Amino acid sequence: MTLKLDQTWQAALDKLRTWARINSPWAIHFNSGSCNGCDIEILATLTPRYDVERFGIKLRGSPRHADVLICTGPVTRQARDRLVRIYEQMPEPKFVIAVGSCALSGGAFRGCYNIMGGIDQVIPVDAYVPGCPPRPEAIIDGVVKLLAKLQGHDTSPGPVVIGEPDANPALAPQPEQEEASA
Amino acid sequence: MSTETCLQTAASLLAAWAQETTGPEPGRADVVIASGDLIAAAGALIDARWGYLTAITGLDLGPDDGRLEVLYHFACGAAIVTFRVRVPREGAAVPSLVSVIPSVSFYERELMEMFGVTVEGTPNTDKLFLPEDWPDGVYPLRKDFSMEQLNGQGGG
Amino acid sequence: MPTEKFVIPIGPQHPALKEPGHFEFNVDGEVVKAASVRLGYVHRGIEKGCETRNYVQAAYLVERICGICSHVHATAFSLGVERLADVEAPPRAQAIRQIVAELERIHSHLLWVGVAAHEAGFDTLFMYSWRDRETVMNLLEGITGNRVNYSANVLGGVKCDIGPEQAEVILEGLRFLEERTRHYLEVVSTDAVFLRRTRGIGVMTRDDAERLGVVGPTARASGVPRDVRVDAPYLLYREHPVELIVEQAGDLEARFKVRVRELFESFRVIRELLAALPDGDLTTRMPRRIKPAETVSRIEAPRGELFYFIKSNGSDTAERVKVRTPTLPNMASVVVTAVGHQLADVPMILAGIDPCFSCNDRMAVVRQGGEAEVWTWERLRQYGIEHYR
Repeated sequence: MTLKLDQTWQAALDKLRTWARINSPWAIHFNSGSCNGCDIEILATLTPRYDVERFGIKLRGSPRHADVLICTGPVTRQARDRLVRIYEQMPEPKFVIAVGSCALSGGAFRGCYNIMGGIDQVIPVDAYVPGCPPRPEAIIDGVVKLLAKLQGHDTSPGPVVIGEPDANPALAPQPEQEEASA
Repeated sequence: MSTETCLQTAASLLAAWAQETTGPEPGRADVVIASGDLIAAAGALIDARWGYLTAITGLDLGPDDGRLEVLYHFACGAAIVTFRVRVPREGAAVPSLVSVIPSVSFYERELMEMFGVTVEGTPNTDKLFLPEDWPDGVYPLRKDFSMEQLNGQGGG
Repeated sequence: MPTEKFVIPIGPQHPALKEPGHFEFNVDGEVVKAASVRLGYVHRGIEKGCETRNYVQAAYLVERICGICSHVHATAFSLGVERLADVEAPPRAQAIRQIVAELERIHSHLLWVGVAAHEAGFDTLFMYSWRDRETVMNLLEGITGNRVNYSANVLGGVKCDIGPEQAEVILEGLRFLEERTRHYLEVVSTDAVFLRRTRGIGVMTRDDAERLGVVGPTARASGVPRDVRVDAPYLLYREHPVELIVEQAGDLEARFKVRVRELFESFRVIRELLAALPDGDLTTRMPRRIKPAETVSRIEAPRGELFYFIKSNGSDTAERVKVRTPTLPNMASVVVTAVGHQLADVPMILAGIDPCFSCNDRMAVVRQGGEAEVWTWERLRQYGIEHYR
């Protein structure tokens, strides 16, 4: 928005916008090469047992409506441009959650010819949820922790990581980087 | 029809084109067929309503052997008849089965992009699985494929 | 106004169906004239990956071909490799594999009922079926320790046992699910609104189905008696057979009915297996290296026949692993059945084969002047719902 407002009004508007966004973040889900395992668990979070809507989270079909991009799967060559386009179409500010071991590092598919690596090889990631696949509870935890960070409750630097980073080999620094540079 | 009768029926249907028949496992028959006879042989099975084409497998015998094998698996109950069509690696080509089995297009598209086997007369030669910017002449399921080949030609 | 010819690309991304695939539909006004498919958004190169990993590693890789029907992939691969090595898994392992496979079918079909109902705008059914599906997810987690990608199989057997207490829990879960399934069968065969979206839509005649080589419930809904569990029994399907479920109509309604009726067979077979669970070991010794040979392994996945061709070369790594998933032949049927239908029916026809790929979210209506308008899948779906209101 290019509206010219004086500082007080701008600050108030920003505050309102953050409040609204945190109370009701809309998410879009993109599968860039996943096996479906994480995708059905994401879908399961929408359904009555896990019911992520109680946090105001709603899954939308269009990136232009979304605040949060939930990514699953390693990035395939074919899906890479699509992923970048979807990310670019989202309005600012936008956040990315990588769900599942493959989205973190390429997982079981590391080294396959059509794989570019994890999501963070292509777009910046704000929260990592490991698991193959992560349980719906872990996915919800990832979203909630990201929201806490946006509210300013969590002031630790760097992205949100679910679970103990040391206990997750997938999150350890990789010795050799994929040739993929976005 | 028992599995044995199925295989016998297939053997008699294919007698005119079979160059060599082996039984690698119970319930299976491998039939070597010349690529020129492929349409006629597949037509014989389909016209007799013997099963359906369940998959096409490409098999690279390696640069030393210099040949590719294209396997057409037909299934009827528990019986599987496999046509083995051997073609040279250089300029590999097989005729399309689309005139006999209209739905074969997907299998043929996969065979073309993965193994570099030209399927003559297939209606759609677009890529099915590989990305658009995949370099020409690089076939991932051939034995001499390497990642360098892919990255060297700007495929990434 | 002269009739405009639209090319409508659909795909490759959508929140309800899971994997991306890309379709292009040529439409004349409202009616689909031609369709084409582009896959590969989730192509990872697994067949090649299997050539660079040993058999044990490859078993984990093939399990991750598909997260919905992961167990059948691992089972088909294990059975094939075991046959190459002249090893047979102990009977108890086979029974457990079959129990998990049938539980997986239940979870997959319930998932599909929900997703297909969502495409029809019937979100209540979507929520109900997914709520009930959590029961079977609990059972799977109880047996294997994971909700998805269970890794119940190891080469030469299974890694998890089913004890008497576990069996009791499974039977309890099945009682609940069977009751709910009866309700779903009633819904999909009597709900008037729903029937308008399914009856007579996407009809595939038996001749077409045979000609196109479709497999699984899609074939059986067109009267083709084709089920690997019956045609070429594997595991313990010879001792504990399932009945072939066939419908003749060949439309979407028939596909719903076949899938829901199949669930009753799954319940019955699981009960039968639990009552007659053989004693003995869970695994048997597998050699690391496997002599050169070739084998074909076929399994009835929830979506139809799954085909594996495995060639060994004497080392601990496969020479070639070919996988043909049931969606590939069934996809050919979408291209055919969609032609002549209203655009509004396309989402349902796509969902009707239970595609194991995800279509989605964007449709561009290109007018003759060249001006383009982009529709999301959501809008197409809404359009489908409005069209029938």
